[in-house]
Amino acid sequence: MPNTTSTIDDFVNRPLGRRSLIRKGLAIVAGAGMAAATPPAFVRAAFDEDTTNAEQKRILVVVQLGGGNDGLNTLVPYTDGAYFDARKDVALDPEELLYVDDRLALHSSLGALKNIYDRGDLGVILGVGYPKPNRSHFRSMDIWHTGSTDAHETTGWLGRFLDATHHEQNSLWRAANIGKSLSMALDSDDSFVPSLKSVPAYVLQTDPRKRSQQDRRVQDWLQLQSVQTTALAKQAEYGSQLAFVSETGISAYQSTIDLHANVSDYTPSVKYPKTPLGSALETASQLINSDTGTGVVYVTTGGFDTHAIQTATQSGLLGSVSDSLGAFQEDLESHDVADNVITLVWTEFGRRVNANGSGGTDHGTAGPAFLMGKSVNGGLHGEQPSITKLDEGGDLRYTTDFRSIYTTLLSRWFETDPTDVISGKFPELPLFSAE
Amino acid sequence: MALVTERQKIQHLLRRAGFGYRADELEMYVNLGLENTIEQLLNPEKVDDSKCEALLKDFADTQTEKFKTNVRYRTAQWHIRLAHSERPLLEKMTYFWHNHFATSMTKVSQPEFMGIQNQTLRNNALGLFPNLLQAITNDPAMMVYLDNRLNVKGAPNENYAREVMELFTMGESSGYSESDVLEAARALTGWTVNRGKNRATAALLEHDPNSLIRFRRHKHDYAQKTLLGVSGNLNSESVVAILSSRTETADFLGTRLWEWFALKNPEPQLIAKTTDAYFKSNGSIKEMVRTILTSKEMYSERAYRWRIKSPVEYVLGSIRNISGITNGKAEMSDTLSMGQQLFFPPSVAGWPGDTDWINSNTILTRTNFANELTRTYPRNRKNRTFNIPELVKEMAVINDVEKVVDFTLDLLVGGDVDAATREILIEHLGGRYHYNYDESVKNGTLNGMFYLALTMPLYQLA
Repeated sequence: MPNTTSTIDDFVNRPLGRRSLIRKGLAIVAGAGMAAATPPAFVRAAFDEDTTNAEQKRILVVVQLGGGNDGLNTLVPYTDGAYFDARKDVALDPEELLYVDDRLALHSSLGALKNIYDRGDLGVILGVGYPKPNRSHFRSMDIWHTGSTDAHETTGWLGRFLDATHHEQNSLWRAANIGKSLSMALDSDDSFVPSLKSVPAYVLQTDPRKRSQQDRRVQDWLQLQSVQTTALAKQAEYGSQLAFVSETGISAYQSTIDLHANVSDYTPSVKYPKTPLGSALETASQLINSDTGTGVVYVTTGGFDTHAIQTATQSGLLGSVSDSLGAFQEDLESHDVADNVITLVWTEFGRRVNANGSGGTDHGTAGPAFLMGKSVNGGLHGEQPSITKLDEGGDLRYTTDFRSIYTTLLSRWFETDPTDVISGKFPELPLFSAE
Repeated sequence: MALVTERQKIQHLLRRAGFGYRADELEMYVNLGLENTIEQLLNPEKVDDSKCEALLKDFADTQTEKFKTNVRYRTAQWHIRLAHSERPLLEKMTYFWHNHFATSMTKVSQPEFMGIQNQTLRNNALGLFPNLLQAITNDPAMMVYLDNRLNVKGAPNENYAREVMELFTMGESSGYSESDVLEAARALTGWTVNRGKNRATAALLEHDPNSLIRFRRHKHDYAQKTLLGVSGNLNSESVVAILSSRTETADFLGTRLWEWFALKNPEPQLIAKTTDAYFKSNGSIKEMVRTILTSKEMYSERAYRWRIKSPVEYVLGSIRNISGITNGKAEMSDTLSMGQQLFFPPSVAGWPGDTDWINSNTILTRTNFANELTRTYPRNRKNRTFNIPELVKEMAVINDVEKVVDFTLDLLVGGDVDAATREILIEHLGGRYHYNYDESVKNGTLNGMFYLALTMPLYQLA
């Protein structure tokens, strides 16, 4: 992939030093004489603060399994006859499972996660869901992302967390979204969250053959972003769209400088699977092992909507997830940062108890979530839903509200007031070892 | 201010009803005038597209048989049409329907099926909606994607029945019940797809889509059904007829078309106009589109410049805008880096679009793409060619820096920019006293000025 990063390198390594250079860049934007375009306040604010935070801090990695992963075939009630009756050809062979205890077992593809479980570093939270379950992908995702069953909520739970703790650290890389679409979980009123594919790809490239022109292109580009916001945004009806584009551009540029100034000599200690999820977690590890001050990393993977031919599909998907998470955890431990990182793995709903006529299952309700990390209280948490005492829709009754997980992470891991983020009170879970 | 001159209205129309325009193409439409331009767009079958067809044939001749079995061949073919077809509205509508009847290769997994669906959409893009709906209901790719091929008597699979009401015709919560979904599913039973395990057979079958689907009488539920108040021995044709005759369907389609071409949240009286056109014309998509493109709302302040270009519009539109020629291959990784791949919508609801396209990752990839188009030594030259200095020399007054900048701004965004933007571009070229065409080509500032214009926020809007 193209790697003409010379512009950013030159910028960063100039003898003037990074901060003065950024101030110089800011001056170019602010006073180039044309339109006296003052950069928006948030641009100045970011430059005024010390954006490097080398202190080790607690990090949450969120892995979203999109499509509704079938919980009953992930954590299998292998001694319950009702499971086999309901699931027919979709039921898994108990001989092939990885036993957790005398009632529950993990899918055979989850070998790496089972090892982590056996070491006491994987918490399995049972029966996670919410009242009045919604079986639409879009709506249920929104509920999990916003941390609210109120359909009018538009900010994400992590976005609100960032806004509420803004005063503690004003870094462009507090949170990172790995992907090409910013997750709604990170939607916030005040906080910019960068999205990226990988660290090397996250640069503003310019014509490498015309070195003399590189700086001019970047400077003029930056100025145009600023100028079009201030000059046109106010007067035109399309102003808010324009402002959104240009503000994203300016923040993106700043964040490239910030990222490359703070990324250290990290090399992975493991071979990550060559999959999008594997690469995403490798990027997450790189951010965690740098001085960017990143506290939240968001990763998504999908394909779990197994309406048909579930057995083969889910087997492959879970294997990929398990291998990638296993590599990630091993990498963190080798780099001695594993005490400060926890990884939450969730899906927007589980699936129906009964198989359908197509070798699969349809949208359901509750299912297990996973929390991985050296600081996590490993083992089973909560109550496994009954597969015979179902709700009116014929689906599993949830036993843990997903907002209990969020509340616990906010309160116990990030040590912040959960009521700033989650409305309503939800009992905390003993997910972390007592201090 | 907004769309004052007829030229600006045509430019706006071509951004919305097409993928932008080449400089020479714009002049052709300006000579026709707005009204005749709309007519020409609405009647693609009357427009000679032989140049595009020649590019497609050249492409077919130069690609390996192995590549032609890949879905990427079909993606590249479509890219060629987006960048070169003289029937831009036909392609824009094909793209609209791809987003509407969203079907992903990830699940379909047979490239021939995706190619067939694309042609089906193109054949019906401006035709009668009932015909399009029937064609899509019978489409092999759709039958795989939404599982109608598994929908059998006694074990109905509701996937297609639900989405056809929720997303493709009436819209969510518009008056159909869970019972209607089940009844529709029962009516749609019995169909299946011949997956064509033999790839050679599948390739042949791409030219005969009807041979790829089969109706199995013993799998069809012949019993009495009631869908939205209509009772009888309903089947697939009945479902299509009932759904396409609903006012909710006309309203829903009309809303989407108003938002696609003109403005967000169209008022009831605007929706009423397109619904009226729908019913007066037996469901003609062309007539609904005509209603919108000839309306005054289409050229109002509210309709101006608010749409954020999707990656496909930005990438292929930029290439078209600078009179580039492409075989469509290089653009696959470009649009992918911006979060979009034709034939791979993220879900049955299509691409969310609008502000979802823009985040720090994609702003960088968009900007870096423009850098590729304006490098001194562009890469991918065996797949795409363009020459900005030649374009400027041919179309602009090259010894006048203000005229060069004004040509660029008119070409890219229809003029109407603030003074500061114009000055930045002029200064980049060397300013009023030091600009020289040959120098600017040599030192890269002419390309640089185009880089700035292709990456400024205004150019992300359509």
